[in-house]
Amino acid sequence: MTRAMLKLLTATAVVLISGATLAAHHSFAAFNMQGEKTISGTVKQFDWTNPHTWIWVNVPNEQGVVETWAIEGMSPNFLGRRGWTKSTLKAGDKVSVVIRPMRDGSKGGMFVRATLADGKVLLQTGEPTEP
Amino acid sequence: MVETRVRRIMTAVVIAISPIGVIAAFAQTPAPKPPPPKSPTAADWAAVAKLPDFTGVWELSFGGGRGGGRGAAPGGAPQGPQLTTAATAKRKQLQSEAREDNQTANCLPPGMPGIMGQPYPMEFLMTPGLVTIVIEAYTQVRHIYTDGRALPPDPDLKFHGTSVGRWEGDTLVVETVGFSPLTEIAANVPHGDKMRIVERFRLADPDTMTIQTTVTDPDVLTAPYTSARTLKRHRTWTIAEYICEENNRNFVDEKGKAGINLNQAGAPAK
Repeated sequence: MTRAMLKLLTATAVVLISGATLAAHHSFAAFNMQGEKTISGTVKQFDWTNPHTWIWVNVPNEQGVVETWAIEGMSPNFLGRRGWTKSTLKAGDKVSVVIRPMRDGSKGGMFVRATLADGKVLLQTGEPTEP
Repeated sequence: MVETRVRRIMTAVVIAISPIGVIAAFAQTPAPKPPPPKSPTAADWAAVAKLPDFTGVWELSFGGGRGGGRGAAPGGAPQGPQLTTAATAKRKQLQSEAREDNQTANCLPPGMPGIMGQPYPMEFLMTPGLVTIVIEAYTQVRHIYTDGRALPPDPDLKFHGTSVGRWEGDTLVVETVGFSPLTEIAANVPHGDKMRIVERFRLADPDTMTIQTTVTDPDVLTAPYTSARTLKRHRTWTIAEYICEENNRNFVDEKGKAGINLNQAGAPAK
């Protein structure tokens, strides 16, 4: 199997498994879908909005200067059917978030999973919780 | 004085008669006569109650245990549209432009047929002479007139076209014509003026709906393009609001370059 074929298959699998909703509104072109980065900090704001939720996280950089990262997530419509609410994340919450980083290196990315201070892991995939 | 008065009267007469002239000019091709308007009767509502019950909230089944329901041809693997030579060349040209995203990134809804394949639920409403589909994605709505009216001979071009439906036994057969040039048959396959879509909606079991969609387009397709979808009814669900412009940070520019606006200044105030 060629590298290009493998890449295509991986990309297709990612779309099928995790990205159906995201893909409906826009492509993954802005994200490095093979990349993974973990950022840890304090939630500044959680936008429970369409077409995407946004988590703004204050993260101290290597110089100790606080930078704000923007993390795109699934829509409130999609997440609301999978146990999330507008209060799932609140300003001040300590959080560690795994993201697919922006290709252009700017401080943002696509949500993969988050871990809260109490160890609870938040995901944005899976079956709806209501029948 | 008299002259002024006469002129005023003449002006009034011209204003009064001119709309008639305009109407007469447009009335040269008589449109099919719609059924006379009337309020639905108890019998009309009773007739709705006898139809297969499509009412409620439905969502497409996707792969991964929910029995893949998107875009697969009946009884087989997903199959793409078969294109004319011109449409094949057009697709090649569009593919070579390697656009990173399409206009939905800018919140433009996809229109037909793409709007029926979104990963968000749809609510079906049935009233006398009308089936209404409320589509959560992009907050869209389709009206399917089942009152016996004909399709318009020269329809306006719309994202969802103009639809009429008829019942063939337990199947609602919907014909749609007149589509905006901003909609496409599939990725990189723009439609022609004569695209026509026939959808067959039926209940496979009480909470499962199948939709068989057939696109014909003599300028683009060498054969009808048929796909099948399966939807599940979610009786506890309601349709949620989806205002795409609420906080849209994604965009695609005119060259097809995709991007994201990460400027928090644009975020909704808290």
